[in-house]
Amino acid sequence: MTVLSSPVKLFLRKRFLRIFVPLMVFPVLGLGALVHEDYLLLPLRPVVTLEGSMASKAELFDDEEVKRILMRHNLRVHSTVSSSREIAVHEISQYDFVFPSGQPAAELIMAERRSGNLHAAEYLPFVSPIVIATFRQYAQTLLDNGVATPQASSGGDPLYYDIDMKKFFALVRERKSWNDIGITRHGAPNGNNILAHTSDMCETNSAGTYLGLAAFVENQGKVVANGAEAEALAKRIKPLLTELGQTAPKGIFTPYIAPEGAGITLLVVVYEHQYLAYQLSFQAQWGRADSQRVLLYPSPHFVTQPELIALKSRADRLGELLMKDPELRRRTAELGYRLLDGPGVPPSQDLARVLTERHFPVPVTEGDNTRSLMPRVDDLEKMIKIIAGCRK
Amino acid sequence: MGRRVSPAVALVVCGLLFAACSVGEPAPTRISVLASSDLVDIRPMLEELRQKTGVELEMDYRGTVQANEALEPGHYRHDVAWLSSDRYFQVKLKGSGYEGVQPLSVETMFSPVVIGLRRGTAERLRRVTGNSRLSWADIADGAARGLLRFGMADPRTDSNGLAALVGVATAAAGTGSVLRPEDVSCDRLRGFFSGETLTAETSGALVEKFVAAQDDADGLIDHESALLSLNASGRLREPLEIIYPQDGIVMSDYPILLLNPEKRAAYDKVVNWLKSAPVQKELMERTLRRPLDPEVSRDPRLRTPVGNALYFPDQKKVIDKLLANYESPGTGTSDQVLFVLDFSASMKGARIAALRAAFAGLGGADDSPTGKFVRFHRGEVATVIRFGGRVLGERSFTVGQDGSMNDLRDFVADGGFDNSTAIWSALDHAYRKAGELIADDPRRRVSIVLMTDGRNNAGISAEEFLRRRRSSSVHTYAVRFGDADLSELGRVTAATGGHAVDATSRLSLLGAFKEIRGCR
Repeated sequence: MTVLSSPVKLFLRKRFLRIFVPLMVFPVLGLGALVHEDYLLLPLRPVVTLEGSMASKAELFDDEEVKRILMRHNLRVHSTVSSSREIAVHEISQYDFVFPSGQPAAELIMAERRSGNLHAAEYLPFVSPIVIATFRQYAQTLLDNGVATPQASSGGDPLYYDIDMKKFFALVRERKSWNDIGITRHGAPNGNNILAHTSDMCETNSAGTYLGLAAFVENQGKVVANGAEAEALAKRIKPLLTELGQTAPKGIFTPYIAPEGAGITLLVVVYEHQYLAYQLSFQAQWGRADSQRVLLYPSPHFVTQPELIALKSRADRLGELLMKDPELRRRTAELGYRLLDGPGVPPSQDLARVLTERHFPVPVTEGDNTRSLMPRVDDLEKMIKIIAGCRK
Repeated sequence: MGRRVSPAVALVVCGLLFAACSVGEPAPTRISVLASSDLVDIRPMLEELRQKTGVELEMDYRGTVQANEALEPGHYRHDVAWLSSDRYFQVKLKGSGYEGVQPLSVETMFSPVVIGLRRGTAERLRRVTGNSRLSWADIADGAARGLLRFGMADPRTDSNGLAALVGVATAAAGTGSVLRPEDVSCDRLRGFFSGETLTAETSGALVEKFVAAQDDADGLIDHESALLSLNASGRLREPLEIIYPQDGIVMSDYPILLLNPEKRAAYDKVVNWLKSAPVQKELMERTLRRPLDPEVSRDPRLRTPVGNALYFPDQKKVIDKLLANYESPGTGTSDQVLFVLDFSASMKGARIAALRAAFAGLGGADDSPTGKFVRFHRGEVATVIRFGGRVLGERSFTVGQDGSMNDLRDFVADGGFDNSTAIWSALDHAYRKAGELIADDPRRRVSIVLMTDGRNNAGISAEEFLRRRRSSSVHTYAVRFGDADLSELGRVTAATGGHAVDATSRLSLLGAFKEIRGCR
């Protein structure tokens, strides 16, 4: 008869201990670290992972602090980075929520949801103005030409300028190059024509808003009244917006903050919150602002209003937190957003407070409302298609 | 025997106790990747990627343009595409009428397409052009003068070649803006490409060719990363100086695209890994591409400013036209232009002075950026046919031969005017000549440039000219000067497939000649 295995108990065997004990120690240490990080307080309540489709607002859920706060509420967000218009014109039923960066896309989505009698809870936690981020030499050249003026509050090396869009578009229309208007007084020569770089107009809210701005300025400060007017105006302003050729589909802010940015993305149409979040983190790291990268605030002033739309009720809680949770709202302000306390109320002072606390200059902006200046959504759609030749 | 507890058992126990237990390797998820051939340099990192993410990439390497071509919206054959650039795909997508969702796309790193030159060549070029910062226009000028030979990957198969072609064409158009179809209707890059002596289907193969035959070229057009890597490899007798042309560069940004949405989870893992700071740093160290992450501190070799980015066309027909004009070196074609020039008495004085100045400009005296692109280039043959009431003289000059440009200028400057003007007889003569040239060598690219300042008052009529048989592949481009009949010139040139430009209203005579340079 064969004697099978020895009587020594499995967990006392030397070989077993050698392999298994270290293996056990690691997860325990890891768990300790997680608990310490507030990430996970053992399975009290299951963590809900929400699938969201969004554009630039994905940056919010990429933030480690925001992740931690949400995790405390047993929420995790898995974002699919798309673009606002793409979210609006394509299938979204697989997501728990969408978070387009502005009202035009939100309106299209809401119309669709209402007509299908589908769940759609709207949350409007904050706004952010559309701005043109650039480098000091370009801002100074625009200043020399009477197109930009530094904001009074921003001190000796101003970070913020106001830009007269009527004068700016005149330079674009005349096809002036940076060399033509004297860039060499402040920096390296550049034979490219003056133009603000947007992401793809067929896709993004920022580009669509910039189109709305151009339309408003070129229509003598009036919103187009009807479809026919929108069509005629679109043809007229097309050269102001399409001379760039192929644009990056998304994420033009990343190349802007790269060390090579000054040659790749001279003037980029972005949201104020992207710039401020970048500057605050730069300051946290280096103890000073990045004085080479400056903002041009377009006059007239256009504000974008991102909207979280919960498509399934499980996402309602995320919307509620963004509206009401003090901790999350504080972090949102630190990421450069202008918080809203409720519908129809001007943005709160949280952002200004955060900037002041950190001894960072506070930009001065007029309090215009984007809805009154943007074309109606069907007119805007018509203009986008004419100008950018979108596939859909 | 049988006494050891296998690690697998330990793993199972561990797995039962702690869901988060991460010891050992799960079976890797495999995803197929359509990859640009220049991404072979990341191959050594794929094993690390597999260990860290559990995702194994099965790379299918192709020339980038071919890879872009292989991407048919809705009919993808790979899970993921990782290209040096997807611009050609985006242009194609836009032109295709496809309305579905675009593949998710994330940039991973970037590198400008630039030119590396031997130090001596770069210095000679700076001396000749008087520019301390060289431009594509200076490269074109140097090539046309025969001072510079370079290698470039074939733009029909490789995106570095295509990016370079677009960049150079944008600089040649000199509009400060994106290329439009009208900017590329004539080929202004013949001079530039007269310097191309080396080519290959992919950038990798081009580098090998250059290493093997370092005397055959003075430099290479390629990604900054490829040139820096080549310099660092020690395989060159002499390192190349990297020139970031002052009139702009085209940037590759290495996007990774999700083609098969079912592989989303694996794709996310790969993207997150690629974008993490340590991997960005490693990518930079291994490949000398610039990290996307602004926080990663640049290798000293990557601190040179890249200069200004040029815009990439969004119309497929612009790219198609550029590719159609492009010819590989060694295809044996040559360029010959027949200049049919009016020497009637009305040309005396200021007009003939303007004509001489125009030919001096085309001969290399025009140092404007566009002048550098459209100047006569080495190997090109210019045939001048002088006419009055009949053909007064005819001579051919081969650019680059000793004294040929001086002889050409003397021939154009020579007096000897006639009292009448036989435009159509002279043009008819030029077509007979063109027919002989093509019969002699069918690969010759022949075009006719007619310049006149008066009305036809001798020889055959325009109608008679149009009735006669002539080669349909040779087109006539006319320059209207002085009192010539623009509508008649327009009508006849259009019938030949060409067109007329007016040098009296807005352009100088040189400007008019430049506008139709490269039209054929």
